[in-house]
Amino acid sequence: MTKGDKILLAALTCLTLLSAALLYGRFFLPKESTRARQAVVSVRGEVVRRIDLPSSGKSSFQVQGRVGPSMVEVDGARVSMREAPCAGGICVKQGWIEHPGQSIACVPGEILVRIEGAALLDAVTR
Amino acid sequence: MREQSTRKMVYLSMLIAMGTALHVVEGMIPIPLPIPGVKLGLANMVTLLALYLYGFRDGLTVALLRVFLASLVSGTFLSPGFLLAITGAVGSTAVMALLLKHTRCFSMIGTSMAGALGHNLGQLFAASLLLQSSAVIYYLPILLFSGTATGFFTGYLLNSLLQQKSALPGEWYR
Amino acid sequence: MNRRSVFSLCALVLLLIAGLLSPYIFRSDIEYQSDQFLMDTLVSIKVYGEDQDLLNAAVKGAYAEMRRIAELADAFAKPETAAAQGSDVFRVSALAGKGAVRVSNDVMAMLISSKAYADWSEGAFDVTVGPLMKLWDFGGSNPHLPTPDRIKAAVKLVGSKDLVLNEQHKTAMLAREGMRIDLGAVAKGYATERALQVLKSHGIKKALIDAGGNIRVLGRNRQELPWRIGIKDPRKSDAIIAVLQLEDASAVTSADYYRGFESGGKRYHHILDPRTGYPAGQSMSATVVTRDAGVADILSTVFFVLTPDKALELAEKLEGVDLVLVTADRHIRHTASLEGKIAVQPDTGYHYDQGR
Repeated sequence: MTKGDKILLAALTCLTLLSAALLYGRFFLPKESTRARQAVVSVRGEVVRRIDLPSSGKSSFQVQGRVGPSMVEVDGARVSMREAPCAGGICVKQGWIEHPGQSIACVPGEILVRIEGAALLDAVTR
Repeated sequence: MREQSTRKMVYLSMLIAMGTALHVVEGMIPIPLPIPGVKLGLANMVTLLALYLYGFRDGLTVALLRVFLASLVSGTFLSPGFLLAITGAVGSTAVMALLLKHTRCFSMIGTSMAGALGHNLGQLFAASLLLQSSAVIYYLPILLFSGTATGFFTGYLLNSLLQQKSALPGEWYR
Repeated sequence: MNRRSVFSLCALVLLLIAGLLSPYIFRSDIEYQSDQFLMDTLVSIKVYGEDQDLLNAAVKGAYAEMRRIAELADAFAKPETAAAQGSDVFRVSALAGKGAVRVSNDVMAMLISSKAYADWSEGAFDVTVGPLMKLWDFGGSNPHLPTPDRIKAAVKLVGSKDLVLNEQHKTAMLAREGMRIDLGAVAKGYATERALQVLKSHGIKKALIDAGGNIRVLGRNRQELPWRIGIKDPRKSDAIIAVLQLEDASAVTSADYYRGFESGGKRYHHILDPRTGYPAGQSMSATVVTRDAGVADILSTVFFVLTPDKALELAEKLEGVDLVLVTADRHIRHTASLEGKIAVQPDTGYHYDQGR
């Protein structure tokens, strides 16, 4: 092997590894549950609060919606709507969400809590 | 003169025949992985040898005719695979010819690897046009890997071959 | 070493690589996601494109279109509000047994489609189910289990054969007094489809509309792969039973886990069988996959009400329509042509033997 050959071999190897990392890298990212995610709370389309997940311990805060205040609770990696002023209380009954793409919506109050981050699914038909 | 050009034609024909045979036979080797386009590339040795001995025009002729004949024999003439093989052959021949003519820092190993690179890039380019999709780029690392490896291997074989001078036509060893 | 040819060689190689990468480099798509509360639910629209202003305009137009149709269909406003009073549907119902009402093109389209499907499904789906819906009052302040007599009386007022449509004069009329139209199972899907057409008219090539669970996708996702759409597990709130790979398609689900109430230890959900007046009970959820979201919305209701066998039988006959059922006896079944586009999850707790 000549010196040129060796350099070329090294260059091609680097190119292979680099392209592999760039193209395939996204599929090997650590499991979604440990990646940085955020719970984004918005009222009528305006973001009012962002919480980094997982958060330490339990906490809760109030959100002013269209028809009154709602209580959002954060517990470690999950989030739920604790109290809501709407009639059916569907949002409260939804329980906890923690995966990117999931959301709890209080329709009358126009409050939306959504988990943002890399998701394996684009949407869920329900 | 005539003797020389006849000899050349005979030799080139032999090279084309060998290239065709190598192409067809290696196509019959089953690859455990479901990845199309990964092959040993033994036939490229023939192309490279033709380039080395006779230059770009003849080398390109050998390469293209080899692809033609091999596709006729395998029944893949004018298929998408055929088109990819043509673009690959043109790409690799061009790269190898340039290297052989203008540089001295590469042995057959380096030239063959570069040829494999040209082959793969030519194929990916054609595939992306054929499929109207840019998703083919996901193949690049795989092709680069197999191209580098097989290029190294065939170049090494060719190097060894060239050390056995009896393989070459008369006018090369006096 | 000839510098020039090495240079030209490198240029050749770089050119080839650039050619391959150019779709990624020069056409890097912007993602724009927007959420709005309308049609009594959350509507999320995600679009991809090169021009932020264009994306904004397209999405704005899409929402406006959905709002417009929601108002016409009056499926969602409270009856006393001015919004409801102005809607086509309200006016047709108000003049039931009395006269015909001029309706907009969109409402006419919805009514024509609905009437055809009512016929085709032999009454398993019917938009004249208004009297029954009013009786059960699912969306109102007093949802309750009505007495059998009242249900029977309301069922008598249901029947699309008594919905008279005149396409030439663009009028609609309910033949008997007391009849009432409810476009709840139709309007959301129709509006979703219209919204998508608005996005398309702006030149958008990749989009996903999620209208409260009605999914409509255009093209492929950002990675040039089909959109991955999950089907919700009807009994476990955080789980999905299958993943669909869709492009240029809709996925709409009708199920028993939305509105409803409990009475006497039993749960009553809001998808009534127009023929009996009671909630349909053979399936837990029915998901329809087809191109048009309006058709998907209607068919999901049809197939949810019909028995699983009948539903699958009809679905197989329909060209370009696929169905996924989670039956009451805990089986996951789907149409044959969904093979390759559906991946049923392992360990869902439901029975699945390749769908049949």
